[in-house]
Amino acid sequence: MNTPTNWQIAFRHLRSKKRQSIVAMLGVTFGIAIFIFQGGLMTGFQKTFIEQTINTSANIRIYNESKLNRRPILNKVTAFKHSLIFVRNQKPKDELPKIKNVQGIVEYLEKHPMVQGVSPNLSAQVIFKSGITQISGRVLGVHILKENILFNVEKNNMQGSIKKLNTIPNGVILGEGLAELLGVHLNDNIQILSSAGVSLEMKIVGINKTGITELDKSRAYITIRNAQKLLLADNDFITDINIKVKNIDDSQALAATLQKKFGYRALDWKEANANIFSIFKVQNMITYLIITTILIVSGFGIFNILMMIIYEKLPDIAILKAIGFKDKDIVYIFITESLMIGLTGGLLGLFLGFLLQKLIGSIRMNVKGFVTLEYLQFNNSATFYLFGFFFAVVVTAIAGYIPARKASKTDPIDILRSK
Amino acid sequence: MPTNSLLSTHQLNKFYHDPIDHHVLKSINLQIQQGEFVSIVGASGSGKSTLLYVLSTMDTDYTGDIYFDNELLKSKSKDDLAELRNEKIGFVFQFHYLLPEFTVLENVMMPALKLNKHSKDEIYANAIEKLKLLDIDELADKKANKLSGGQQQRVAIARALINQPKIIMGDEPTGNLDSKNSEMVYEIFRTLNKTFGQTFLIVTHDTTFAEKTDRIIHLKDGEIIKH
Repeated sequence: MNTPTNWQIAFRHLRSKKRQSIVAMLGVTFGIAIFIFQGGLMTGFQKTFIEQTINTSANIRIYNESKLNRRPILNKVTAFKHSLIFVRNQKPKDELPKIKNVQGIVEYLEKHPMVQGVSPNLSAQVIFKSGITQISGRVLGVHILKENILFNVEKNNMQGSIKKLNTIPNGVILGEGLAELLGVHLNDNIQILSSAGVSLEMKIVGINKTGITELDKSRAYITIRNAQKLLLADNDFITDINIKVKNIDDSQALAATLQKKFGYRALDWKEANANIFSIFKVQNMITYLIITTILIVSGFGIFNILMMIIYEKLPDIAILKAIGFKDKDIVYIFITESLMIGLTGGLLGLFLGFLLQKLIGSIRMNVKGFVTLEYLQFNNSATFYLFGFFFAVVVTAIAGYIPARKASKTDPIDILRSK
Repeated sequence: MPTNSLLSTHQLNKFYHDPIDHHVLKSINLQIQQGEFVSIVGASGSGKSTLLYVLSTMDTDYTGDIYFDNELLKSKSKDDLAELRNEKIGFVFQFHYLLPEFTVLENVMMPALKLNKHSKDEIYANAIEKLKLLDIDELADKKANKLSGGQQQRVAIARALINQPKIIMGDEPTGNLDSKNSEMVYEIFRTLNKTFGQTFLIVTHDTTFAEKTDRIIHLKDGEIIKH
């Protein structure tokens, strides 16, 4: 094969049919750009959603799972071995979902090499009152600095300071939505009323926004001691221990060992959010179906244009063969042409896809729904770019190869004599 | 059966099967000597073009033997035949068939670039020389599709000459030209034949052209009736 001559012919073909070459190239460009844009958009939203959700749920949560369906204690009495035992209207044992030896567990976990942070807490259903406005919600009694390691409370804090929770004895940090509903502002006072009948007068020291609308509308942080007061509980009453793991992938394994070690339920984030992940599984399927369709459609477009280009060149192919070009030279020439189209079109497509993402990503959307999004989030992952480019090159190579091979096999005589 | 002729056939037969079985070439035996200027004539459908394409190595669907330059063509692969065409056969067709995207000079250089035996400078000089020989050197940088029919045919002849082929084959090279240009093409062939001993095998139905050649092969219904 005489490569430079083949290259020269390929380039000349592309250059002499500028408009056709550009149309073919743009076909590749738009296909790849839309692929990158769509893929980035769909997975980007999902990623943001998962991140926001996971950022607000602990990697591992340890709690005391109350067992409702205890077997009747009568079963333990051997005298009734051959009798049918029936207990009506059985109620769970009156015991609080309290974790014993919290101090010991927290100390153990804080020394654990896989653990980054530990935050014991307890929560209570309450009614927030400001004047005549009443909103039901939940208070979370936490050690705010420990909680901060886990959930970045400080970063989400819109007004005030989280540290004041430790210095002001009756401080409360409200979710942004909750403050709005109550019509209160920083440093205002509100009343918190618990189901145990305790009412506390609290001062707003911070306003917090996680981005999860439901949470921001119903949750407030207070100190552990105040939460215990609301529940009329002892000062060692803790219902949950949340853990942040250094490497999030270790969560599942660590949760299993902790559950065994302490005898309390240890739930990792994947299990806790299983229903969300199952929705995403379906959504992913749809996403990839759409993306595949986009790629197939653009693939056919590319194939079509290249086929037309090659068939238009049949007389040239005949003359090249007559003056001594081999079949493989012909294939080489047209593969070179289609790869040039694929490479330039693909590169432009990557660039255009990136631009589209930036452009659409800079438009303020202010979506307020299940999650709060100011801008559309794109997943700018290299995988999409690599795959898109790979696809452009492979499809154009195939789209060039098939008609080129067929054209190279045609008899030059048929073409030379058919005018 | 190698002979000392440049091109010879032995019991050459060819059939077309589509749309109906048709015996196009019937037991053709012929010899072309080095330096001969031969024409093939016959009515249309007599198989004269088919014969030329079989001899040119582009059509390989035949029975019998063809020897070219003392080599049996049957024994060669498709790629070998392409190389052989490139180096030893020059073509001139009825419809010029230049590469339209390339200039006159590039068209002429193309077979030599493909052969890749000489440097680009040598090929360039050689191509200019051929263009001068055909008196079209002032057209060197023009695009091939901007030329008149007679000019295009002269470019095609220059291209056929570039690798100093053993033989130049023509399929109705004057078929698309007026009598003045036909006369000119004949004169060019004759000059090349006389001065360089260039061998020509030309299919034509132009009797005035054929009568001026050294030898006429008459074909009728796939058989040689006179030569």
